[in-house]
Amino acid sequence: MFGWIGKILRIDLTTGNRSVEDLSPDLCRNFIGGRGAGLKMLVDEVDPRIDPLSPQNKLIFATGPLTGTGVPAGGRFVVVSKSPLSNCIANPCCGGYFGPNLKYAGYDFLILEGQAPRPMYLYIRDDRVELRNAEHLWGKWSTDTEDALRKEMGEADALDEWQLRDLSVVSIGPAGENRVRFACIMADGGRAAGRSGLGAVMGSKNLKAIAVSGTGQVDVADVPGYQQAVMDFLEEGRVNRVLYNRRMYGTWALPGRANKSGTQATRNFQEGYSKGFEWYEDPNHVRDHIRIRDEACFGCPFACSKRSRIKDPDYPRSTKGPEHESMALLGSNCGFSDLDDICRANYLCNELGMDTITAGATISCAMELFESGYLPEEELGYAMGFGNTQAMMALLKKTAIRQDFGEVLAEGGKFVAEKYGHPELFMGIKGMGMPAWHPQGVPIIGLQYATNNVGGSHTKATLPFYDGRRDPEEHIKWTKHDQDYVALVDSAILCWIIYHGPLWGEKLQVWLNVITGLDFSDGELRLIGEKIWNMERLFNLKAGLTAKDDALPRRMTHEPRVKDQVVPMDRMLPEYYALRGWDEEGIPKEKKLTELGLSQGRLP
Amino acid sequence: MRIKIDYAKCTGCKLCQVACSLQHTGAVNPQRSRIRVFVGEDVCLPVIAGPYTEAACNSKENMVINGQEVDGCVVCRASCPVKSAFKEPDTGIPLKCDFCGDPPDPQCVKWCDPDALILVDG
Repeated sequence: MFGWIGKILRIDLTTGNRSVEDLSPDLCRNFIGGRGAGLKMLVDEVDPRIDPLSPQNKLIFATGPLTGTGVPAGGRFVVVSKSPLSNCIANPCCGGYFGPNLKYAGYDFLILEGQAPRPMYLYIRDDRVELRNAEHLWGKWSTDTEDALRKEMGEADALDEWQLRDLSVVSIGPAGENRVRFACIMADGGRAAGRSGLGAVMGSKNLKAIAVSGTGQVDVADVPGYQQAVMDFLEEGRVNRVLYNRRMYGTWALPGRANKSGTQATRNFQEGYSKGFEWYEDPNHVRDHIRIRDEACFGCPFACSKRSRIKDPDYPRSTKGPEHESMALLGSNCGFSDLDDICRANYLCNELGMDTITAGATISCAMELFESGYLPEEELGYAMGFGNTQAMMALLKKTAIRQDFGEVLAEGGKFVAEKYGHPELFMGIKGMGMPAWHPQGVPIIGLQYATNNVGGSHTKATLPFYDGRRDPEEHIKWTKHDQDYVALVDSAILCWIIYHGPLWGEKLQVWLNVITGLDFSDGELRLIGEKIWNMERLFNLKAGLTAKDDALPRRMTHEPRVKDQVVPMDRMLPEYYALRGWDEEGIPKEKKLTELGLSQGRLP
Repeated sequence: MRIKIDYAKCTGCKLCQVACSLQHTGAVNPQRSRIRVFVGEDVCLPVIAGPYTEAACNSKENMVINGQEVDGCVVCRASCPVKSAFKEPDTGIPLKCDFCGDPPDPQCVKWCDPDALILVDG
């Protein structure tokens, strides 16, 4: 096959058995790969009603036909599983080198099932696949884990500097080991498959890390056509203004924009403008202050992620980011605006292996509970109002090891808010904290968050600055369009940040066809995107979610910051369901399922 | 003609390795590339494959690049018996940059978007 390798590696952690299966061409044609094909495997093999942290759950590391081919900004992988945070489908994407390396080792998919009897790590080098003892790594922070693994493999497997450097490691930090519900899977020194808490799933399987390298190849259907397409693409990219900003500042150009337009999450979303964040408006300030170098994912000419370090001996290592979302949720949303403090919090989250967004949302929720007097100081033993950076850093560390109040925080913001009797103070959807853009300023974002299959995530639809997306009449149409489109992007797999629908939507088809040699038509691709979205919906419904879960926090719909400026969910949601071909309970109708070829997937 | 490397501009995307392997092997396999990028924490080091030497050298020295001390063995261009880079993974046959033919038209330079690699005279 061109693009795909055609192999699935399956490992039963309980018994240590492994098998290599063939990837069916039908699956590739109907679901492409990544998020789509991973979802199909999960649906076929896992009952949506299981406890996500039980051995019955599976962890599927998925690549797509474009992964590892060098398609610009196509070096990502997706992890598909059931989320312990939201109880929904989970499919966080991650960059770095892991996805391509998995393919060079000879596998499109890696399926992990069961539960290892003791801490293990997985070593994959071409057809050599070994489960090894990781008891000595348990408790280590994520980059320390990588270092220790490299050192160990240099000695045990006699690998030289080059071989060790070409090895890609994904691991979990203490947060994943302790099954913190918003733990990440960390990759390549600071990248994360972040949302949905899959680090906890990996921790529940007693798997500390996976190290992959390979010497194999990925075949391309039309080599001269591909070389020419890349040349054309790079030429276009050089003169694109949006991409110039990405290259220079990554997401650091966004906070200023958000703050100026009043959509910057501030003090648990009580406000949309953050005083003290004026330095945000000059992204060069951030760049000059903390950046070490631009750090590209495999095959990405734009290198939007920035490696950073602060001058503080307590935080010696470099890390990735903080990105805009982390800056807002760990910074302004918790009430502080000092760049160094934001970097410290970001560093801790990365090293401990926690999702910066949900961690920020959870702690800011606790801060508001504290300030409102619902969370008594006697119970904590210290104050933790907005802007208390000392409490913030201590709580991040405690959460990862579930120590005293960390035990409560580790269950996620929804649990915290409910425990203290005020569920309306948690700013999240389906249990997952909302990202940085305040929906009251941009209602379409509210609809995207609320209807998102994975919960409050910004990465499953397009940012609302393009075409007619800001026009209230067009919100519903664009939300559906963008959700279906991003499902495709995550299946191919391309980078959502670079392939914003409006920016380069048409390129997806170009790359797929030149790499795979299959003639995917535009209509066929759209149908695949919609099919994936509907299958995820069915998975969630079977897992027990209802239309009630497609709701924004009360603050967004009932407490305007500016006169009448609320998100009109009452109007938008029924229209959205109707456009999707779902009934008023949000259940896909028979007609829609038949149209998508999913009639077997209907509810029991 | 030679390929000039500007370490400060390299982002570690490895598109040069993709371009090279695609040109020389007809498929994408960064391990069979005649240029390799060593991705460090503070700096990325592209290294272009030079001639094969039959013995390891005995005068190994570390170098300073962009203020970072790097292992001299890593940035050495030779394909030699003690290092894995610049060899066909299956057969061990040494690899050497040929500038993609005559006249020189190196694909890695064409694919390098941040201009860390440029073709210069002399």
